Amino acid sequence: MKEPSQSRAPQAAVALGVGLLLAGSYWGLAKAPGEIFMGDVQRIMYVHVPTAWNAMLALTFAFVCALSFLFTNAWKWDNRLEAAMEIGVVLSLLLCMQGAIWAKPTWGVWWDWDPRLTTTAVMVFAFGGILALRAFVDDPVKRAVWSAVACIVAFADVPIVYFSVKWWNSLHQAQSTPQTVSKAFHWPLRINAFGILFLWTGLVALRARVAALRLRNEVAPPLPERAPDTAGAPALGGAR
Amino acid sequence: MMGVVEGGWGFVAAAYVVTAAVLGAYATTVFLRYRTEKDRAAAKAERETGA
Repeated sequence: MKEPSQSRAPQAAVALGVGLLLAGSYWGLAKAPGEIFMGDVQRIMYVHVPTAWNAMLALTFAFVCALSFLFTNAWKWDNRLEAAMEIGVVLSLLLCMQGAIWAKPTWGVWWDWDPRLTTTAVMVFAFGGILALRAFVDDPVKRAVWSAVACIVAFADVPIVYFSVKWWNSLHQAQSTPQTVSKAFHWPLRINAFGILFLWTGLVALRARVAALRLRNEVAPPLPERAPDTAGAPALGGAR
Repeated sequence: MMGVVEGGWGFVAAAYVVTAAVLGAYATTVFLRYRTEKDRAAAKAERETGA
């Protein structure tokens, strides 16, 4: 297995993401107008909606990593899967917290078992459960295969989260897209969306390096580039 | 006015503070874990070359 890269590109992506988030949040808080019905409370949208888009994007990337691992057996995809699921769960949890803070002044409650909120909670627990599963499995090959398969199953919930507001009567508003959001709100929304995108891609790259370094530590050298064929193959020697 | 949410800056501030705290804390743990693993790998390599 190759040495993890030493490139500083992930740190640069994180710095760029933080800069964009600061700029977009300033624009959303100080420059953009309030919404006609929700007033200033609507400014929560500039962090809530980009968090939702990026949580689903991170979990979609995790799904791609899971498929790539099962097709190639390359460890790099397992490292990326672990990293993408972790940031996906963090963003989904953050999404629920922001949503609760927005729900209280607009709906009068912190939480409601409405289709969008319920499917999002299922998404958090499903992917959080897979991360917990990874922590309990010592054999790296079994851990990688099981979590890839579980990720593919759990991913079925992600499109349901997205389309839940269309498929069912929901207290939650429809998806925020350029067609459903006033032009005055576009720029802070886009800047923050790219800010979170750069932030999580940088963090995923660094977190995948952490996973790669841990794997090298866990498995006796030389660690092959690919996991052995999982059908009846012995586990890699020297696990933990 | 009926049907319009008035005020609410406290909720806005809370949402932005929570966002900064969660993203900042997670980013910090990733950077710390990366540094720890790099140091561990370097120490291991040093032990192996010294042995």
